[in-house]
Amino acid sequence: MNRRTQALTVGLTGLALTLAACGGGTGGGDAEGDSGKVDSIKLVAAEYSDETAGFWQSFAKTYEEKTGIKLEVQVVSWDDIDQQSSTMIQNGNPPDILNLNAYASYAQDDLLYSADDVLSDSVKSDLLPNFVTSGTYEGKLYGMPDLSSARALFYNKKLFEDAGIDAAPTTWDEFAADAKKIADLGDGTAGYAEPLGPEEAQAEFSIWMFNNGGNWKTDGRWTINSAENVETLSFLKKLADDGLTQNNPGKTNRTDGAFADFAAGKAGMVVGFSPLAATLDEAGKVDYGVAPMPTNNGDEPKSYGVTDYLMAFKKDGNADAIKAFYDLYYQPDQVNTFIENEGFLPVTTSGVEKFSSNEDLKVYLDTLTGVQLTPTDDPKWDTVKLAVQQEIGAAVGPDGDPKAVLDDLQEQAESGS
Amino acid sequence: MTDQLDTPVGAAGTPAAPTAPARRRRRRETGHASALSAVPWLIVPLLLIAGVVVYPAIALVQASLSDYSITGLRKGSAGFDNYTSIFQHDDLWTVLANTAVWVVVVVALTILIGLALAQFMAKDFRGRTLMRWAIIIPWAASLVITSRLFTLILDYEHGILNRLLVNLHLLGEPIDFLGDDSWVMPSMIGVGVFVSLPFTAYVLLAGLNAIPGDIVEAARVDGASPWKIYRHITLPLLRPALLVASVLNLIYVFNSFPVIYTLNDRNPGFSHDTSITYSYKLAFKAAERSVGMSAAMGVVNVLLILVVVLIYLRIIRWREVTQA
Repeated sequence: MNRRTQALTVGLTGLALTLAACGGGTGGGDAEGDSGKVDSIKLVAAEYSDETAGFWQSFAKTYEEKTGIKLEVQVVSWDDIDQQSSTMIQNGNPPDILNLNAYASYAQDDLLYSADDVLSDSVKSDLLPNFVTSGTYEGKLYGMPDLSSARALFYNKKLFEDAGIDAAPTTWDEFAADAKKIADLGDGTAGYAEPLGPEEAQAEFSIWMFNNGGNWKTDGRWTINSAENVETLSFLKKLADDGLTQNNPGKTNRTDGAFADFAAGKAGMVVGFSPLAATLDEAGKVDYGVAPMPTNNGDEPKSYGVTDYLMAFKKDGNADAIKAFYDLYYQPDQVNTFIENEGFLPVTTSGVEKFSSNEDLKVYLDTLTGVQLTPTDDPKWDTVKLAVQQEIGAAVGPDGDPKAVLDDLQEQAESGS
Repeated sequence: MTDQLDTPVGAAGTPAAPTAPARRRRRRETGHASALSAVPWLIVPLLLIAGVVVYPAIALVQASLSDYSITGLRKGSAGFDNYTSIFQHDDLWTVLANTAVWVVVVVALTILIGLALAQFMAKDFRGRTLMRWAIIIPWAASLVITSRLFTLILDYEHGILNRLLVNLHLLGEPIDFLGDDSWVMPSMIGVGVFVSLPFTAYVLLAGLNAIPGDIVEAARVDGASPWKIYRHITLPLLRPALLVASVLNLIYVFNSFPVIYTLNDRNPGFSHDTSITYSYKLAFKAAERSVGMSAAMGVVNVLLILVVVLIYLRIIRWREVTQA
């Protein structure tokens, strides 16, 4: 009998293990029954750098001390976060708070709390207005901006000097002429590093499009194939055709392609942002300057801005815990530390004041209040963005047709919306 | 257990042996008991199979018949819409053609080079151990890391291969191995062969070592040329090992995700994807962003690999091999 009991125990243990493995429970957010309160919540956060996990862990500690609620932190790389978050939701087990670059589809699926439920008025009034706008879906704020970045034109001072250029270009004609002078230096040097590969093609195209008076949407309508945008993409293709860019710009990604070329001193210009500056400073190899983007229509230069969002999932009894999370996150000493660690830009008025004394950030901060963003408030953008990433690179290839590509994207954006 | 085993032995002629009926009853009892006591041990593997194989398969089929929003939320049943969308997708045939080229060329090259390598490793020479280690190292490294290394090696601007070829004046201009459309597939195939070789070479080496030396010796004494020995003795005796190596490689290469995904990551669209990376991109990277379509492609993949392996076994008449 003894042996049989033993075997049974082994069998049951196996059963338990198997079930545990099947459940794949990621834990967190267990409702505590009657009181309707939770004793722990879970944050899934995107990994910006090596600093990210450390920040969230110490944040979790402070949060627990203040509220007595446990904060489980899971930091996920950008490559995997879409997959992980959508798998969690598919399994009916979303995190309580998610840090991602898109929120509108989640709001559309009615999964999220709006600011009315979980954000204090004092926090809401501190957020910069254009980020509030981009975080608002159908009149309610769902996407709480966690940090931002703004792009500007980086140029290699040494290559500029070698090519006899005194100042950064302010018009597209000057830009093309300068790029040619640098490319003519030879030795595989590119005038402009143009990343239209799938990683972040929508960002590269956005900043050029904004500086030609174009936009993804105008007055609530998709205008991807507007005359200005066709002109913009044709200009980018001409740079490639004339040999002023690096090889195969339609297949070059930003971080390990264009940025790497610029950091190696192989490119005269690139569109960059503050984290690139930090990398270049650390390497100390390239003497660079940062200037506003050149424009094609004589308007004020526009910057392309990005913000990522914190969004909170509706679950029984977790509203107060989330409110406490947001209250703590938007404390200047928390949010500004996070932004400083990561080398990004603030999302709050108090943050802009705090960083305004930083000379390095001045060129971006000046543009931050007038920065233009992609239409992240439209759930359709979440798929249009993917289509742009996969298709726009083809337009600047040898047989590329900018108009046809933009027409196709316009059609995809209009379908089913 | 030991005393039960001892009993029949001791019963062979010793007077102390129990009477026959008693012995039979006892034996039946123990047989019964041991069958029963085996049940719990069977439960674990059965549960594991249920959890690791059956449950995911059911979940996959279920997902392929469901409609998901981009966030991963299930909106309801989709019927066969996901399958219809896949078969109407412009890129499906490109992807299937890529898959065919990828699997056939990688497996064929792997087996051929693997044969040569195994033959070489079987020889006794100074530094053989070192060589055996050198060959197994790529296998020990993670596929993602190996693939990532190759993206650096094959890089257009900074890659070591282009630098080497240009500096040695073998090339006038560098080649964009991972961006130039005519080079992407050959480059991926090269890496695919590289990572499949260690396992294949070792399976074939084991096969070679299992061939009795006296047969080869006898043939040599009879005056057979080395090539004749290889064709008429070594190769036929190597068939079981070749079978194992090629069937496992078919499945492994077909399902190979990291090499293609990593090396192809800066090429937009699906033009160099195989059905496995296609299925992943459908769910997370492409404009479709549909978990349902991705699952449907997953089901198609499982069926495809089954068909491929069955056809292959048919072609090489595996029955003859296994009975030989």
